[in-house]
Amino acid sequence: MDSPRPHERPTAFDRMLTPVHRWIWSDTNRRVQKLLRFGETETDGGRDILRAAEVTSDPLLRRLYLEHAIDEFRHGILFRHRAAELLRVSRSHSNIGFQGDWLAPGGHGLDDLQVDGESDQTMLAFLHLSEKAAASRFCIYRDVMQHDPPTRAIFEEILHDETFHMNYTLTQLARVEPQQHKRHLWRARLSRLWKAYLRLATSLAAILGSILLTIQYFVLLPPFAWMAKRAAHRESAGWTAVSPTSSDSLNRQY
Amino acid sequence: MNILGISAHYHDSAAALVVDGVPICAVQEERLSRHKGDAAFPLLAIEWCLQNARIEPDDLDAVVFYERPMLKFDRVLTCALRAFPQSWRAFPKAMKNLLGEKVWMRGIISSQLGVPGRKVLFTEHHQAHAAAAFLTAPTRRAAIMTADAVGEWATLSVGDGERGSNGTTKIRRFREIRFPHSLGMLYSTFTAYLGFKVNEDEYKVMGLAAYGKPTMVEQVRKLICRTPDGAFALDLSYFEFHTTAKRSYSPRFAELFGPPRNPYEPIDLDTAEGQRFADCAASVQRVLEDTLVELARTLHQETGLADLCFGGGVALNGVANARLLAESGFERIFVPPAPGDAGCAMGAALYCDRIHFGNPDRDLPDHPFWGPSVDGSELARIAQEDGHHVETLRDSALIEQTADDLAANRIVGWMEGALEFGPRALGHRSILTAPRTTEMRDRLNREIKYREPFRPFAPVVPTDVAGRYFDIPRGGTRLARFMSGVFPVRPEWKSQLQAITHVDGTARVQVLDPAMAPRLHALLEAYGQRTGIPVLLNTSFNLAGEPIVNRAVEGYSTFLRSKIDVLVAGGTRVTKRSSAVGSTEAERIREEVA
Ligand SMILES: [Fe+2]
Ligand SMILES: [Fe+2]
Ligand SMILES: [Fe+2]
Repeated sequence: MDSPRPHERPTAFDRMLTPVHRWIWSDTNRRVQKLLRFGETETDGGRDILRAAEVTSDPLLRRLYLEHAIDEFRHGILFRHRAAELLRVSRSHSNIGFQGDWLAPGGHGLDDLQVDGESDQTMLAFLHLSEKAAASRFCIYRDVMQHDPPTRAIFEEILHDETFHMNYTLTQLARVEPQQHKRHLWRARLSRLWKAYLRLATSLAAILGSILLTIQYFVLLPPFAWMAKRAAHRESAGWTAVSPTSSDSLNRQY
Repeated sequence: MNILGISAHYHDSAAALVVDGVPICAVQEERLSRHKGDAAFPLLAIEWCLQNARIEPDDLDAVVFYERPMLKFDRVLTCALRAFPQSWRAFPKAMKNLLGEKVWMRGIISSQLGVPGRKVLFTEHHQAHAAAAFLTAPTRRAAIMTADAVGEWATLSVGDGERGSNGTTKIRRFREIRFPHSLGMLYSTFTAYLGFKVNEDEYKVMGLAAYGKPTMVEQVRKLICRTPDGAFALDLSYFEFHTTAKRSYSPRFAELFGPPRNPYEPIDLDTAEGQRFADCAASVQRVLEDTLVELARTLHQETGLADLCFGGGVALNGVANARLLAESGFERIFVPPAPGDAGCAMGAALYCDRIHFGNPDRDLPDHPFWGPSVDGSELARIAQEDGHHVETLRDSALIEQTADDLAANRIVGWMEGALEFGPRALGHRSILTAPRTTEMRDRLNREIKYREPFRPFAPVVPTDVAGRYFDIPRGGTRLARFMSGVFPVRPEWKSQLQAITHVDGTARVQVLDPAMAPRLHALLEAYGQRTGIPVLLNTSFNLAGEPIVNRAVEGYSTFLRSKIDVLVAGGTRVTKRSSAVGSTEAERIREEVA
């Protein structure tokens, strides 16, 4: 699994989802939205990696991270430009509903890893895994993009970089941690799983919270809304005098 | 007495520390976390402030938050109720957002810092803006005006301040205008309509306005009308910011002004569509200015004072500030270097010191440099490791060398001393270049700042000769101290100052006193000796979408990623190794692996 020189190859899971990806990318609007989103994740990823370059004390890693970050920034631009081009051609402004983000996620992101204060080993292990995951998905995206050669070419180009990212992070991990690099990878893998679970759990909780609040909104709020509207009618626009005592105590929160 | 001020959760979180009545340090969270506009609770900024002053949380006498959380909650809830049932989508989001953390500030501050809850205090948002503007200004009595998008309820307030001869301080607010009626929101709505980022790109609207004509003033005046008492009110049927978080303008707004701009398409000013957007910007800018001028004129007549302290995010609008100076009747206008919400951290701490604790009035240092200091040796070390050309020079040699660089049209990344507090780079974290040609401006826009060609660059000039190149009115020097005013470039110099002259013939000039930044002042003079014009282009040291650099290593990584020719930090000067000098190990690995 962690051969010294892996090449871009979609994972079985990603391959299984090919029909879904094909469907997601078939619609121009959806494609535009996804490309824009990818543009953001690539740029954000670039920022994280740039930060890694700034905080590492290993000169070789600093140079590699910097090149890596520059690649990610370029990917962001490529995605954004392609999205803008598609927008111009299709003349669509619409914000479409379903984008399948969790089904067809974008590039990088370090899973909320705090770059400051992380060891080089942890950084490299995380980077390797997320680059590998990105390479796997971008491979599929490229393959389902036959109907859109320019976008396909972009994925092709980016894929080439991702392969480099995936490989150098692994070789560098082996360099800085010759003995235990496998263990670091496993730890990063588990941590990614745990974070994925946390993300899922918090988004479920958020959905539940929204449902509860929405129910409260329609059940509890109407009488108060009625009163608030009446009060608003009585309120006159313009200046409101500030009474000198209204703000004299700094202990108050209201 | 040690007082920590905190601002957070809206835009640009920050912390500031006031010890015995004088600011010791202040920094925005984004400069440390490296996330632009970071609005999170500013733990890094707080930690740095305490470490820098060698103070333990136990030693703090008070921690002051810059607004009253419950009052803000009251506003959000009331607005949701008033907008029932349209607010049904926004309501769960707003509640989760507020109830998740923002309402419980006393508990959060107390647990994060380990200080008892009774030491946690709160100012009102506009009180903090007013204090930041008045208490940092070298004036003893002044009228005070604050204007932003919104605090708790207030969006604009007027009042006055007095530092008495017996050491007492008074800050009074006479009256305020309340949400949803807001000049900041009006401007932000146009920012969104014109396809820019709200709360971040408002200055782009101002830059774009210079390319347009205020042909739509009448339409804008439909959106904002004057009330009989001299205030203003928005016609809410044109807006949606008060009912939903999704969009700030209503379909009626788009009917009035035409379809909004697609943010992903560049503005082409040669097309009718591009011109329409510029005209929109010019029109809202005009109405903003007119409204501010009238409000300030009334305040001037009412107080009879010569000085105005102006705070809040709206005070970042340098064109409006210049008009206020020219037309409101005030002789001097003081805008602090951080008039926005970040500056409230310092405002809240100072307010707490002078008003809450009643500590005696103090004269404060009149500069913006309150952040971490840059370490030239750090730069020397890493640049040497990477094989770039590194020199460590004495001050005078460094200044001569840098003046030569600038005269030879090299782009210089300039870092020295403590980081600026506030959004402007005022000479400690700046990119400096020769101001002469439009080619230089285009090169900067294209190769370094990666930004829209319509955006102007600012100049910096020594105070004593500023009048030769710029038409700065009486009192304007004060506004220009922190780059808070836009003034005309004298016609006879325009051709030699092309890179910093905006399309309408103006510039957002910074006039520099030698005492504020002696090395930059010396550099300006050395550059003047070589070229005859002691004016440099001064733009913030960052790339598009990134916060201004703080540490040497951040300047270094920016230098390597862009076409900046020379990097100076403290006494260290770095130029890039030419690529002909063989490939580095990183490049070798890249070739091998890829
Ligand atoms: Fe990428
Ligand atoms: Fe990558
Ligand atoms: Fe504010």
